[in-house]
Amino acid sequence: MSARAAGVGIGMEPAVDITELYAAHRLSLVRLAVLLVDDLASAEDVVQDAFAALARRPDAVKDPSKALAYLRVSVVNTARSALRRRRTARAYSPPHDLSPPSPEDSAVLAEEHREVIDALRQLAARQREVLVLRYWSNLSEAEIAGTLGISRGTVKSTASRALVALEKAMKSTTSSGEGER
Amino acid sequence: MSTPDTMSEMEDRLRAALTARAEQVRPEHLAPLAPAVRLRPRWQSPWVLLASAAVVLLVLGVVLQGLGRDTRSDDVAPQPDEPEIQMPQDIGRDWDRNDLDRQPRLDLDGDGTDEKVVFRGEPTKEFDGRYRLETTLSSTGEDAYGIAEVGTTVATNVLDPIDADGDGDQELVLYYDDASAVGGGGYPLVFDLRDGLLVQAVPEDPDLLVRGNVPVPGSTTEFYEMVRIHDYWFEDGQLLSSRSRRAYASGNMSLIRTETILVDTWRWSLDEDGVLRAESLGCVRSGLEASVPCRAGEVEELPYLTPVATETFGTGESADFRDGYRFSARLEAFADPVLVVEGDDGRSLRHDDFQVADPRVATVQPMGVDGASLFVTSASDPSYVEVLAQDGDQLRALEAVGEIDLRNEGDVRTWLTQNGGVVTVTAQEDGSWTVWTWQVVRGGMTALPWGTVCFDDVDDPTTAHSC
Repeated sequence: MSARAAGVGIGMEPAVDITELYAAHRLSLVRLAVLLVDDLASAEDVVQDAFAALARRPDAVKDPSKALAYLRVSVVNTARSALRRRRTARAYSPPHDLSPPSPEDSAVLAEEHREVIDALRQLAARQREVLVLRYWSNLSEAEIAGTLGISRGTVKSTASRALVALEKAMKSTTSSGEGER
Repeated sequence: MSTPDTMSEMEDRLRAALTARAEQVRPEHLAPLAPAVRLRPRWQSPWVLLASAAVVLLVLGVVLQGLGRDTRSDDVAPQPDEPEIQMPQDIGRDWDRNDLDRQPRLDLDGDGTDEKVVFRGEPTKEFDGRYRLETTLSSTGEDAYGIAEVGTTVATNVLDPIDADGDGDQELVLYYDDASAVGGGGYPLVFDLRDGLLVQAVPEDPDLLVRGNVPVPGSTTEFYEMVRIHDYWFEDGQLLSSRSRRAYASGNMSLIRTETILVDTWRWSLDEDGVLRAESLGCVRSGLEASVPCRAGEVEELPYLTPVATETFGTGESADFRDGYRFSARLEAFADPVLVVEGDDGRSLRHDDFQVADPRVATVQPMGVDGASLFVTSASDPSYVEVLAQDGDQLRALEAVGEIDLRNEGDVRTWLTQNGGVVTVTAQEDGSWTVWTWQVVRGGMTALPWGTVCFDDVDDPTTAHSC
């Protein structure tokens, strides 16, 4: 006897199919998260939490086409919380993961890219989010505004300031690196 | 490695670096975690199977124990004046264990050895039942339990443990996730081991121990409401919370605040009666990156009124706009001035419906509009201000809706900042000025209040200061 045939389970039917969403978007969301929280383990936790949030509010997204946007908002917010937890903990220690380094950990980022990523980590959380959503997720100003819960004007100004700050951070890193050499 | 010479090169490098970093994460690197919910066909879901079993049993005339939602002791809210803890009922022994989420390990009995807490979820149709918390105390080998309601049984909502009573053992902290709250909401639930039971502590002032933007009663208008920003967090095993000193406008998917705000903070301690007491820790300037104690006479950060975008072009002149939507614009002189906008994407827009004969267009785009937007003033009429925004294949003037007008004269002054913010200040009877920032809304644009400032000279926004 299927649940549907028995007349039960209908109320539990989510508006979107989380199974399909998980299969389709987990990787891209983990990639988004890793750009926000730096390490893969935290990124996976962030995405897991995002799906958990969607699962416990199955009616929060009635239109399946908006599910990815919902998950993206959740990932950004959870990533920000994760970063904040790190900052507020006076002596943050990473999760107790004694497993050997993953292939992802050991993959080497090209020097020119590493400089940018290192500089990106020095930016304010909001600036970093705007840049990642704009230049990696390729979202419009309106979509970024919707994702971050800010005005489109703020998106524009934040992106502009963030690029300047990023360039400044790179110059600072480069000059200090040259000084060390 | 050299730094980029132009902003365009910077953008290209950023895009390439982000792509490279993201693509380091390959599908095979992802941990084979169970998803947030069991991703099996729904007919195989334990909840569905349980519900199906319930139907069968009901048909047989058997009533499943524990599915009822009669009034329970832990449903009874504490009285505000006399918070009182409720001892948990011994129910839910047969509820399903939640093994998908992390099971917290913490030293509940203070013997130096962590206990593992197991969660059993009350089976309900909407996954909104309670949890039975179970553990075995390492010091005595005895079992302890508690009952928690965190708004869902899909996730366990575990936060960092604390030692709020300073007795050397740890309290379990969960959070109640308020799905209905705008701007994020919820509050922590603290469970202390008392008399062999995990007993939920009761805050003496629950309104001070929440997270999210809490509306100020009676402040709702057509386009916004005023909210206070609440938060809670953990430091060194202690639970702290904060509330913004002033309220901020929230609307149009935006919270109109400055980067730093002044908040009052509290540390929560657990007393012998199981009541969480709030001890004031004073004022803190809270920022997105860091928070620091307020200095004597600390004042709120001023709304961002400057730098003012003063550069404009007039008839016969043009400008290129490179931030956001890229386009060039020029004012052509016919019988009436015509503004011609040519986007880098090949679109061409014309606007000849100016209210003044000598429009001047700012070289900074105002606000955030998908497509082109322009801030227009007049060479001869300083009171005239208009914002044009792309609407499909045309430019149209945004109509000001809401509480104030868009103009620039007398007790209402308006200007554009170099960050694209359209700011209006309106004079108050006490000599101060209310600051508003404009947002695009359906049907036009509206102003949301941002704060209060005083000017030495209102004609010079750089002279703004706290009142």
